[in-house]
This record gives sequence, C-alpha cells and structure tokens, in this order.
Amino acid sequence: MPKLIIDNLEVTVPEGTNVLEAARKLDIVIPHFCYHKALGAVGSCRLCAMMFLEGPVSGVQMACMIPAQDGMVIATNDPEAVELREHVIEWAMTNHPHDCPVCDEGGECQLQEMTVAGGHAVRRYTGPKCTFTNQDLGPFVQQEMNRCITCYRCVRTYRDYCGGEDYGVFGSRNRVFFGRVEEGPLESFFAGNIIDACPTGVLTNKPFRFKSRSWDLQEAPSICPHCSLGCAVIPGGRYRELQRIRAGVNETTNGFFICDRGRFGYDHVNHPERPREPRIDGQPASMAETLAAVRTRVQDLVQKHGPAAVAFLGSSRASFEANALLREWATQVGSPHLVFEAHQGRDRAARVLAARLGEHARSLEDVRQSDLIVLCGADPLAEGPMLALAIRQAARNGAQVVVIDPRSVKLPCSATRLPLASGRLPEVLKALSQKDLSAFSRQERSVLDGLAAQLESARQPILIGAADLLAEAGVTALCAAATKLSTPERPVGAMVLLSGPNSYGGAMLTGAADDFDTVLDAIQEGRIHALVCLSSDPFREAMAPARAQAALGHLELLVTIDSTPTLAAQRADIFLPARASAEMAGSYVNNEGRMQAFLPVLNPGLPISQTGAGNHPPREFFLQTPGSEPEEDWLILAQLLESASDLATIRQRLASSDQRFTELPAIAPETPGIRMSGSGQLPPAPPSELPHCTPSDTLTLLAVSAPLGSHWLAHLSAPLAAQEPQPYVCLHPEQAKELGLNAGDRARLITHLGHCHVVVKIDEMMVSGQVMAPQLMNTALEGMLPGSVLDCRLEREVQV
Amino acid sequence: MNDLLPQNQIDSFKAKATAMAHPHELIVDVLRAIQSHHNWVPDAGVTLTAEVLGVSPVEVEGIATFYDKIFRRPVGRRVIHVCDSVCCWSLGAEMITEHLQKTLGINLGQTTADGNFTLLPTCCLGACGDAPAMMIGLTTYGHLTPEKIDALLQKERAAIAADD
Amino acid sequence: MNPYPQVLFKNRRPGETILLPEYEKTGGYLGLRAALKMSPEEVCNLVKGSGLRGRGGAGFPTGLKWSFFPADQPGDKYLVCNGDEMEPGTYKDCQLLLADPHQLVEGMAIAAYALQTSVGYIFLRYAYEECSQRVERAIAEATAAGYLGRHILGTGFDVELHVHRSAGRYILGEETALLNGLEGRRPNPRSKPPFPAQRGLFSRPTNVNNVETLANVPHILTHGKLWFQELALNVESAGTKLFGLSGHLNCNECFELPLGITLREVVEDFGGGVRGGKKFKACLPGGASTPYLTAEHLDLMMDFDPLEEVESRLGTAGVTVFDENTCMVAVTRNLNQFFARESCGWCTPCRDGLATISWLLDQIENGQGTEDHLAMLHGQVRNIKGRSFCALAEGAMGPVEALLRLFEDEIKDHIRKGCCPFV
Ligand SMILES: Cc1cc2nc3c(=O)[nH]c(=O)nc-3n(C[C@H](O)[C@H](O)[C@H](O)COP(=O)(O)O)c2cc1C
Ligand code: SF4
Ligand code: FES
Repeated sequence: MPKLIIDNLEVTVPEGTNVLEAARKLDIVIPHFCYHKALGAVGSCRLCAMMFLEGPVSGVQMACMIPAQDGMVIATNDPEAVELREHVIEWAMTNHPHDCPVCDEGGECQLQEMTVAGGHAVRRYTGPKCTFTNQDLGPFVQQEMNRCITCYRCVRTYRDYCGGEDYGVFGSRNRVFFGRVEEGPLESFFAGNIIDACPTGVLTNKPFRFKSRSWDLQEAPSICPHCSLGCAVIPGGRYRELQRIRAGVNETTNGFFICDRGRFGYDHVNHPERPREPRIDGQPASMAETLAAVRTRVQDLVQKHGPAAVAFLGSSRASFEANALLREWATQVGSPHLVFEAHQGRDRAARVLAARLGEHARSLEDVRQSDLIVLCGADPLAEGPMLALAIRQAARNGAQVVVIDPRSVKLPCSATRLPLASGRLPEVLKALSQKDLSAFSRQERSVLDGLAAQLESARQPILIGAADLLAEAGVTALCAAATKLSTPERPVGAMVLLSGPNSYGGAMLTGAADDFDTVLDAIQEGRIHALVCLSSDPFREAMAPARAQAALGHLELLVTIDSTPTLAAQRADIFLPARASAEMAGSYVNNEGRMQAFLPVLNPGLPISQTGAGNHPPREFFLQTPGSEPEEDWLILAQLLESASDLATIRQRLASSDQRFTELPAIAPETPGIRMSGSGQLPPAPPSELPHCTPSDTLTLLAVSAPLGSHWLAHLSAPLAAQEPQPYVCLHPEQAKELGLNAGDRARLITHLGHCHVVVKIDEMMVSGQVMAPQLMNTALEGMLPGSVLDCRLEREVQV
Repeated sequence: MNDLLPQNQIDSFKAKATAMAHPHELIVDVLRAIQSHHNWVPDAGVTLTAEVLGVSPVEVEGIATFYDKIFRRPVGRRVIHVCDSVCCWSLGAEMITEHLQKTLGINLGQTTADGNFTLLPTCCLGACGDAPAMMIGLTTYGHLTPEKIDALLQKERAAIAADD
Repeated sequence: MNPYPQVLFKNRRPGETILLPEYEKTGGYLGLRAALKMSPEEVCNLVKGSGLRGRGGAGFPTGLKWSFFPADQPGDKYLVCNGDEMEPGTYKDCQLLLADPHQLVEGMAIAAYALQTSVGYIFLRYAYEECSQRVERAIAEATAAGYLGRHILGTGFDVELHVHRSAGRYILGEETALLNGLEGRRPNPRSKPPFPAQRGLFSRPTNVNNVETLANVPHILTHGKLWFQELALNVESAGTKLFGLSGHLNCNECFELPLGITLREVVEDFGGGVRGGKKFKACLPGGASTPYLTAEHLDLMMDFDPLEEVESRLGTAGVTVFDENTCMVAVTRNLNQFFARESCGWCTPCRDGLATISWLLDQIENGQGTEDHLAMLHGQVRNIKGRSFCALAEGAMGPVEALLRLFEDEIKDHIRKGCCPFV
C-alpha cells in the first residue's frame, strides 16, 4: 500500500489508486472533469494538475493519470499547478454560453463549481463562440450542445460503460459534437445516465424540465423499488410531487449508475388515481376509525370462524418492516395463512432461494469482477436491468458470458448462446453440476461442453437465474449446481433475480406456509373469510387470474393497504392508504439478502400541479394538506398491532426476536447495506402437477416480463408508460415460417385467457418451439403472468 | 445503393471484412471508395459503410467527420484544395486563393453554381518546394500563378465536359 | 551541384521512379541479404551502433527503440511506417518515395526481420496518392522477386506489407493517433505508457518509424556503421539528412546533405540565398513546430543536439526561410492556425488553447492588440507547453514561444502602432 504526502498530509491508499483519489481521501478535491471513478482516467481535460515535488514523477502532472506511489510528495496549491487549472477552466469556458440563469443544470452544475474552484471569473476571450444545432434525443434526455465543454464523459458513459451504440462523438478540434448520427430517441435502456455524467447543462432530464430548480428539490437517499437489485437512488420532490430520480452511489450494488426504469419510474407516487383516503365500505373515514374497523372486523371473523379464517398477503414492494409486522400480526391472530407474494411461482422460487443461497450470494460488484457468468433463464433488461450493466463490465474485463434461455436475451455485450425451452432449464443446470451432458443434442453440447470446461477453470464464476422462468425447480437446481461446483478454494457464486425490491425479505419471513394458490382454494371453499393485502394485488398477480378473481369474490372482508390504485385497493372493504417508498423511511432486502435503508424525500400530499390544475399558487386554502393521509406501511401495521410505532424500536424488536435480522438496527442509508445472516425455509412440497396434454395444433406460449409494461410501479409512471410497447409475440424464424408469419404481421393470439391482437416479431435467438409474449399492463396481454406456460394458437390477421 | 458504390466493390469489401479480425480497419477505405465513386459521402454512405463492415454507424460517422478529406456534404465535380500553410502563404497563397475565388465566383467552402468546382482551404500538401500549391482531386499542382490556374481550370472544365 | 555523398538520393532523377532492376543494379536488397545472414539481435545492434536517429522529428535513436521491442514475444507484432508527413515545410519523405521507393520496402523488410514482425503497414497521407502508387508497385515487384511474402529469399521468415491511405489530418502523424487511425478508430492519441512497443496496433507490440529512418537501414546493412557515421560532418552524429527547403529562397528544393552542415551553407549554397537579394530574417529549421532561428544562428550546425542547445530543434529538417520584410506575428499566426485547425479535440489546452492563441495573434496582427493580450499570450504558452495530452500542442508552442523570445519587440510594435508595421 503506497504511502504519500499531499499538501503536507500523509495518506496510505491501496495499490493502483490514482493521486486524485488519494487526495480525495484527505478531503482535498481538485477540480477535474474527465476523470470519473466508474469510467476511469483518460487525461483529456488536463484540469486535475498537481505539483509533484518528490518521488518517482516530478513537475506538474495530471493527478488522475498518476498511480499513487511510495515517497511521493505533492502540492495541490503550487502556483504553477494553480495557474494551469485557471487556464484549463478558462479554455473550457471559451465557448460556453452565458446562460446560467436559465440553464436546467443550475444549482448542480459541476462546471460552475469547477469554474469557481479553478479561479476563473472574468472572461478574457471576446471573440465569436462556436455554436451547434441540437438534436431531439427522445423523451428522456434534453440536449443543449452549446454548453458542451468536450469532457467526453457522456460518450464514455453511454458507449463504453453502458454499451449503447447509437450515441457518439463527431467532428474534431474545437468543434466536437456529441449525439446520434440522426436525431431520434436514444436506444439504450441506460441512456439517462448521461444526464448524471454530464458535468454541465448539455444533457438534462427532459421530463423534469421546467419543474424545479435543483436547489428547491427535497432529496434524500433511497432505494429503487423497480426490481429486486436494490440500486441506490436519490429521488427529488417538490410541491408534493416526486419530480425526478438520479442515481445514488453504492459501489457494492449499482455503482454509480441506474437504469431508465429506475430513473423515470418516479411518477407512480404522483398518480392521479392514487388512493389517498382511508375508506370503510366505500365511504371515506378517518385513519383512526379505519384502523379500529379493521381490528374489530378481523377479531369478529376470528371469533366466528377461528384464526385460520384470516389470510395475510405481504408484498415484495412493501418495506421489510411492514412485512415483518404483518407476520407478527398473523402470529398474533394465530393464522397459518401468511404469504408474501401472490404469484405462486415467484413466491416459491424466492423461498427456495432464501433457503438455499447461503454462501453463494453475490453482489453486482461481484458480478463486475467475475470471469465467467452463466445466465440461465434470466433476462436482465426486463428482470433486473443493472445486472446487464454489471455483466457488461465483467465482459469488458474479459469475462465469458454464456446465455441459456428460450428468449433472445438482449445484453450490452457479446455472449455465447444456447436457446433452450424454459422447461429444460433445471435439467441443464443439473446436468452441468453432475457433469453429465449425455441428455443433450450434439448441437447443444457444442456450447455446453465448453461451458463445463470453463466452469472448472474460471476464477470467480457466477450462475445467474431469475424466478420467473426458473421457478422453484430451477432455483433449486441453480443453488445445487453452485454448491456442487464449488470447492473450498474456488467457490461458485449464485444470483437469482426476484420480482420486487423486498422479495427476498418476504421469503425470509415466510415460514413453511402454503402458497397463495392454497389460500385461494381455501377462500373458494369458504374456509378463509378475510384477506389482508399489504401492497399487493392478488387480482392481477395470482397465477390463474380468472380463478383468483372468482375466489376473491367470496371474501367477507378484504383489507388493503397500498399506495397505488390496484384492483385490491378498489375492491377493498376497508382501505388504508400507505406511503410510497420515497415518502418514508424503511428498508428493503435485495435479491442477495442485503438489507438497505431508505429515507423519506417528501411528505405525501396531492401534488400542487393537480390541486392547482395548472394554476399556481392554488386559489383554495385548507388547514390540512390535501391528500396527506397516507402513512408509512409499517406504521399502519404497528398501529393495527397496537405496538411501538417508531422505526428504531420496530427494527430493534425484529432484531431481537429473530437472530437472522440482528444487523437490522445497524443499517444506514448511503452505506453498502448489510447482508442478512441465516436462511429462510423451503416451501412445502409443490402439488403434483396434473398431466398436461397439449392439443395437437397448439403452440407453447411462454409469458415473460418486458423492460417496460410489465412492472406495476413503472406502468403507473407517465414518462415510462408512454414508452410501453404495443402487444407483440416473438418467435423463431422457422416457427414463423411454419405458421406463414412474417415480421411485423398482425396476428391473433388465442389462449384460454381469450383472444388478442399482437404484432409478430421474429428473432433468430429464440428457441424454436416456444412463442414468447410479454405481460403488458392495460393491454390484452395483461394476464400473461411471467413464468406461465400456456397453450396457444397464432393466426395471421388479414388486413382489411 | 448502387450509386454509392458498385456492387462488386461492396462484395469485395464484405468478403475482406468477414475474413479479417478487425473490420474497423477498412472504414476509411470504404468511405474513400464511396467518395471516389459518388463524389461525397451522404448519410446513406455512412450507413452502407457500417453495414458492409458490420460496425455501428456511430463509429463510421465519428471517423467520417474527423478526416477533412472525407466530404459529408455535397461537393462539386472537382474539389480544389488550395494550400494556406506557411510555405505557400509566404509565397503568395493569399493572392492565389483570391484569384481562385474571383475566377470561380465563390468563397472558400462554396461550390460553383454549375456544380463543377468546390473550393476548400487545406493545410500543407507536402508540396512546399513548389509553393504556392493546390490539389485538384488527388493531383497536386505547384508554382501556381494566375495564368497557370486559369489554364488548369480550363483543362478541368474540358475534362468535365468530356465526362458528361 | 551537390558535392556531398548521396545515399538516399543517389538514384534520384526528376520525374522518374527507380524500378526494381535498376535498384538491384545499384546495390539494392544487398542490405536485406546481409541482414538475413545475421541474427535479429545482430541487426538491431548494428543499427544501434550506427547512430541512426529517427527522422520523423523527435530524433530518437532508432536502434535503441528497436532494442526495447519485445521481438521474442510470441503472437502478432507489427511494424508501421509513418508517412503522414503533414507538418508544413516538410516534404522529404514524398521526394524519397517518388524517387526510390524500394529503399523503404527493403528497410521495412530488414526492420521486420530485426523485430521479428511479419506484418508491416505503410501509412501514407491523403495527398500522396502518387507516392502510394509507386510504393505499391515497389511492393509488388519485391514480392514477385521474393524479397517480400512467404519465406523471403528462401529463409523461414515471412513479411507482408500493406499500404494504408489516410484521409487527411496532421494528428495522424502522431504515432499513437496513427495506430488508432489504422485500426479504424477515432484518431485521438493514446496515453503513453503503455508505449506502442508494449501495446500498439490492435493492442499488440508495434514499432513505428519514419519513412526516411527506415530507408536508411538498408544502406547501413550494406556499408556498415562506420561508413554511416562518417557521412555526417558533425562527429557526434551519423548519416545524411534530407533537407526540404522552402519559403523566401531562390531554390526551394529537397537536398540530401550531411548532418552537421551549417545553416548558412544550406541557405546560401543550396537554397541559392534569399530571393530578391533580401536579407535573411528567420527560418523554421525543421518544420512548423520548430522554434525560429535567426541570422545569428546561421553558422550553427544543422543537427539534433546543436539546435537543441539554442532552444530549437532539427525536427524534420524542412527549412522554411523568411526574408527581412516578413512579419513574424503573421507567420506565427499562420502556423498557429494550422495547429489549431489540426487539433484532434481530445485535450483542452490544445483544443481551446490553440484557438485562443489564434484569436490573440489575430487581434495583435490586426492592430487591436493590447498589452493585456501580450500578457495573455505569455500565459497561454506557459500553460500549454508540456501540459497537453500529446506533442501536437507542444509542437505548436515552438514558434509562438520563439516569437515571444526573439520578436517581442515586433509584437509591441503592432500594439503601439495599432496596425501591422509590415503592410
Ligand atoms: C503531431 C505530431 C505529428 C507527427 N507527424 C509525423 C509525421 O508526419 N511523420 C513522422 O514520421 N513522424 C511524425 N511524428 C512523430 C511520430 O510520432 C513518431 O515519433 C515517429 O514516427 C517515430 O519515427 P522515427 O523514430 O523514425 O522518427 C509526429 C508527431 C507528432 C506529435
Ligand atoms: S495536444 Fe490534445 S487535442 Fe491536441 S492533438 Fe494532442 S491530444 Fe489532441
Ligand atoms: S480529470 Fe485528470 S485530466 Fe481530466
């Protein structure tokens, strides 16, 4: 570990740290533009000059380009270095417009900070400036090229880090342009990161334009609720409206970036139909009345029918604390019916994972460091987008990536691919771990033999799957493979993408209880009379929607706690409005068992943009903030339980009642989080599957989730909803040919769920034999629950 | 596409690209080939290059816009590059440029109304010993005088007329 | 007539190119034959011992560069010939290639053998179409004769050479930008280290040499290092040098002259003196990036070290002379415009600093300059020199710095008079 002296202070840093970072460790921050921890040093801006007085290098040098070495003595305030920094910032500002007062970057402009820090205040250059024509880069990113200082950070973020191929750098000398070849929406699902990466107002957040000045925003560290990876985010709110999200930094998970679903998926908080009032039997009531009503009605039913007459449904998007209190409630009532996910497949997969993952758990940072990644039944862009970026970083460092999947899994890096029907995924994992590939065809073995060899020799291999396609059997096989292939010297990692930010937490809380399917049976049979739904929507999420709808109709009491307009909220006998994650403190447990804390950004309330109906300030005045009733989900439960209702006490109690959660009180926002210890319980044996015979002229349809359109919270966010695709199916060219279908054709998809119109997509990387359809909210494909396999027919529609 | 590059050249570039480990290597060659066939590289030329070599259009455009001898805007049938670097400048390049502008009736960077000539300034042509110099197409002419320029333009006009 | 021994130009005849039979008749490919009888290290050592220094501008000892090359590393390795030659005042490589291109081909075959690389690229600038064709013809001739290709001259060694035609831009002459250009990437320079010898073309070890450097190699192999050393007039130096004359001279031609010849002899005897009987005011001794010499330097030896002693450089030995009526502010402005226009746009000092200098010199030359502008100019030079990413901006500072050092009075004259005193 090199030891060096910067501005008379001694610092020791890990081998390979550059001098700029070493100085930062001493809280000495020297202006810099092109250096970014995730992007590395390229030495192009020439701003981070320091004077090297003693040691292996001497004179004024770019600190970002020099690795810290023993014996270095460095001065950051040396007149020569200071003079250079002054000049560099003056040069960078040569063509910059004087438009700070109207610039959207105002208040968080690195250029402004660096200009001041660099000591440039008076423009000496009075000649003409270079100007550019802007491009329309689509719905998310606004471009204002005249403000560009040519630091190359956007293109290094977009192309190098994120793997986007439609954004680049054109021209040369002092006329360098960053953009697309032709105007048009940016294609990468990580495009929004260039907003954070750009140090000035060239690339700004388009949906956020003209909403707030950044210094007026309320911000706090939070955790993204849009998938199970638990990326750090910093939401910003104002006027009771959540207005934007930017990436937080957690070098163990997301690093410095987030995906566009996370970035532009804030608007569910402001959804106009969001239920904000407590309701009893359709009538507004006070929170206190409503809480009391829940308690009495549940007690009444328990008295009448026994404790087993009440079922509790937790949630992958409610806080861990709320879910834990729900479990306490179930225990208190004495009901055995406690499930944390209505989607049976996802629930069972998560529970298997929580029971089996153990030492194999790996973080996204581990993925970035891995040298062999096997994606089996996981589509990161849809199911955990930042995983795709982590895989790309590994690939850039030379990792091998192998994709085994029925779908054409899109990745921002190249990969070896083996298309395989979803039903065979557990089989392939088992075969790999038993090193017996005899059951596979020659063609399949050409990939699998290589993979088997790589699994032997790789340094840090990770097997990655996802709950939807792997389901219980697949996750079991994946964890077993990781164990089988591990040796003490060379452990094998595992990662499974789950459905929500707290799926793993829910799975850890679940005992050996039956899954929601059994609950539905019991409701249908009149054994269960009441259901308490915490931030979940069994009407939409249970695996057989029609059966669920029918069964749920029999309930005597439906209690729903939620922050979104779900069917369960609409149909609830008693409804309790909850806060969204950005409106409260709490914690989530991500898919590797990492507990992470988040803080409230704003208080709930009807956004002024809604109450004022475009008129601001509003002309009506109330004592109480309109729409401010929603409470923290855990607070609602604590009140129902009539137990302590502050977060610290709740966490403390959970920690002492279950030793797996011992570290819960220690988690803090803006830290890497802490992995839970111990494991969950396996679900009871799955019901034996009924033999299924496929009628002769039918196809197998595999329902999956799509990057946009399948996720409830994202679907409720206007900027994303506008980008959701039209219903489509995707199939292998051969299969398309058999059916006489061409890409772009309109077709009728017929399943037992009904008929719907779809557009045909053809993809060579699809497995032949399965047709893929994404679940798309609010379309005819809404009922396509990811992971379900259906018989279907596909008929070409003749255009009239 | 055929007016951008003859099919046999497309095929041969494609064949070379598939045979080589780094097809990027040919980007400049394909752009130059398109330019020599089509006179300049339109958007479709960038797309074609990307497609022929299996690289992304962004990379092609990044390169096409870097080099000053790749034209991404229409130019006349003959491009005149008049040198303005120091050796030519010291021997009257400014006067030569003025003469060209006057005779052609255009400014630097413009194309004559008949579409015959585009006049561009260029840095040193490596003809410093023959200064002042200019290049028409790929041929360099030195020791320029107004008379010599008039004669050269005359010759080019005749050649253009013969082409048509 | 040129009384000095002619090596590179010995076969040169105006308007003609030497073809293989004649090249062979005058001793061609004997150097390659000799080399192939030696071990690669022996070839390397011979070149090292000859004292040959790079002719591309920096004057780095060629044999030393070769000795750093990991010749015994297995896998692909490359040899690259830098024929970008776009620095104003420099046209010697062109003359060499037009006259006698086999020297380069032979030199590259020898270098490839010494460095154990089997693939060579000859990078030529856009304007050198004529050169490209002649080099391609020479390659074809040499291949047919067994000097290139598989198993050259019956040995187990293979060499193939490719010509790459560029599409403009001076920065491609910078060796790492050139490698990006060859690869088909944006030709920004790369950071060093790693040097091309470690990680060059396609991330493989690569050696880059100038055309003239490589053309000297066959002669060293044929005639030995002592012969080569004795070619120079300066005992500390070795070999001849191609001097391309330009500017206000009576005879602007390219001559092969011994290193160590005085500037006066170059200007007066070979350049025929300043045109119109005017007085010599200043010159660029070796291309646009070399600091000016003035009349007081006329008796200096034109060689690498002597010129560095007077804060200038031999560069490419493209001597551009200015007569007494020349405004040095205007010359510098012209030079700086070239560099500003040719900046690749990667680093701030070059991209925006050179443009700032252009503006300052414009102001001064147009009579709008002030003392503040002069002070600002000093600041620009101080902070660009040694601070840019690659040597382009560094080179651009050569003339500007010399302007401030040698001709500050002339600048002040502009400022005082409010106009250029020379018009
Ligand atoms: C901006 C710039 C332009 C250059 N142009 C050329 C050139 O045109 N030809 C050349 O041989 N070297 C040029 N060089 C020098 C090369 O980078 C490199 O040092 C040289 O090719 C090495 O060959 P040598 O050792 O044989 O001289 C240039 C350097 C810079 C910084
Ligand atoms: S000095 Fe900087 S901008 Fe100039 S050519 Fe070199 S890297 Fe490019
Ligand atoms: S941050 Fe070091 S050169 Fe840009």
